[in-house]
Amino acid sequence: MSREAGEIEQTYHIPTVAAAGSNVVSFGIGPNVAYNTGMPIRYVGVPFPFSGQPRSVLKGYIEGKDTVSGRPMMQAIVDALTAPLTTDERLSGPAPDAPAAEPRILVASSEDDLQRLFREKGWTDYNPVILPTQERVAAMLRGTHHKPDEIVKSAAGTFGSRRPFTVEKVATLAVMAGAKPEYLPIILALASRVPYQDSTTSIAQMIVVNGPIRTKIGMNSGLGALGPDNEANSVIGRAMTLIHKVIQGYQEGITGFASLSNPLRYDNLCIAENEESLPDGWLPLHVQMGYKPTDSVVTIFTGWNFINSTGWVEQHYAPQFLMRDYMSSLSGMSATLLMDPSVVDLLHGVQGFQTKAMLGDWLSQNVEKTAESYWGNSIVSSMLAPLGRQGLEPYASWLKLPDKAMIKPFANARNIRTVVVGGKTASVWFATDFMPDRGTLIDAWS
Amino acid sequence: MDRRKMLALLGASPALVAGMPTHAETLPEVAPHPATPVLGGPITVLNPAVTPKLAERVPLAPRLNSLDGKTIYLVDTDWGGMGQNDGILQEMQAWFAQHMPGVKTIIKIKKGNFVTDDPGLWKEIAESKGNGVVLGVAG
Repeated sequence: MSREAGEIEQTYHIPTVAAAGSNVVSFGIGPNVAYNTGMPIRYVGVPFPFSGQPRSVLKGYIEGKDTVSGRPMMQAIVDALTAPLTTDERLSGPAPDAPAAEPRILVASSEDDLQRLFREKGWTDYNPVILPTQERVAAMLRGTHHKPDEIVKSAAGTFGSRRPFTVEKVATLAVMAGAKPEYLPIILALASRVPYQDSTTSIAQMIVVNGPIRTKIGMNSGLGALGPDNEANSVIGRAMTLIHKVIQGYQEGITGFASLSNPLRYDNLCIAENEESLPDGWLPLHVQMGYKPTDSVVTIFTGWNFINSTGWVEQHYAPQFLMRDYMSSLSGMSATLLMDPSVVDLLHGVQGFQTKAMLGDWLSQNVEKTAESYWGNSIVSSMLAPLGRQGLEPYASWLKLPDKAMIKPFANARNIRTVVVGGKTASVWFATDFMPDRGTLIDAWS
Repeated sequence: MDRRKMLALLGASPALVAGMPTHAETLPEVAPHPATPVLGGPITVLNPAVTPKLAERVPLAPRLNSLDGKTIYLVDTDWGGMGQNDGILQEMQAWFAQHMPGVKTIIKIKKGNFVTDDPGLWKEIAESKGNGVVLGVAG
């Protein structure tokens, strides 16, 4: 909202006031002014929640108090459009009071003092970290040919605010997470993709690694791959969490407001694909995305849902049927199936799915849900209903359907992906709604 | 349900579990982990924090002397997507009609969705001599 209000004020010189819930207001008048827009947009705070509330409640909000100033809401709106600008609101050019540059070196009298400092600064996941001594960081930097002072990215903060960071900073966080130098190229590739997507909802990320580096550094794509049973998977995933917090600057309640957040954020579901188990015709994820089989690629997925098959595949109910059933609870915007190689054996060898794409096509044609359930998902309704109202198909037609009419939410089969991972001790799988980025070449960071 | 049936249901072999030790085993002596911090004396570490850069400040537009006789656009940013904000903006419009009848209010819905820009609407508001804008509502 700050961006839109700023555009109206700056381009057309029309006074504007934004009305929002407390989290948007808090960010809009705080970090967003300082680091993103530079414009102290005037806000009024609306009580939350307002979605789904009857008109009587909304009327009460309007006749009630602005949660920012505590004054009557509508008087606050009138004042925001009419009260003369303050000195701060008239500022132009370089911002005063720029923060002092962070020192490169920290000195403390004890390990405990440093661990406490790191916790108090929010530089940890509140598990103990390995202290990044100069020797350890220097050893870590041997994992890449890039120079320590090379800038990896500048627009690294939330909404692309400038938080320039170097290879050395990433190596420092890699040490803190417990990484080995050979993990550093993957961690640098992950760092090059900040900022990661945040939300007030329970959004999370998933890391999938493909290519030769998986086996070279000992990542687990087999037995127990999704669990806390492999050093590389665990530590690389943790490093991404530290990158999110320290480099991106994510602070709950200041730059982010995830109401419940998500336990996947501890290690970002870091896995490698079990490429060796793929039958003929089933391509690794990175090859499907256009990379060479010999490329090492890390793909960051973003999503919300992570539905466990619970048990193994039953003889009387083919795996694709239960996948279809479970996927009907997903939004339809994207799906990524994580499946054990034993499930692939059944799908490929018994059910006749010769490629991952064939499975995606079948699910696209067979997953169904009611129109009211589809539009009842707020992510779908926020992102796609407006486009439907503007005539974009199939959403325009789906908006006209009766509530109980059935639709096929995964209209685009390409939005259904499969990643094969697991140890063949149970024919199990997860249905997720995770959607990938375009992948990042790890070799470029070696 | 007995323990054996429960384990079988969960896919675990009762025989396998039965063979597991129930007491802590003595750990073999191992060399210190290479990441074990050195104790004693000041400790020097690299600072992981980055220095954020402040945005250049941009002034707000001058404010109106009064809203009397002015046109205020109430713009629905379509957060929620299914007309979630209409109610609040309509209540705002009703309040202006009752308490400040000299103010003309016009409700507009932004195109795209709540994360996209609608520069055409901002231009339309300017060309229509809109005097002020209330953007709402996001949560």
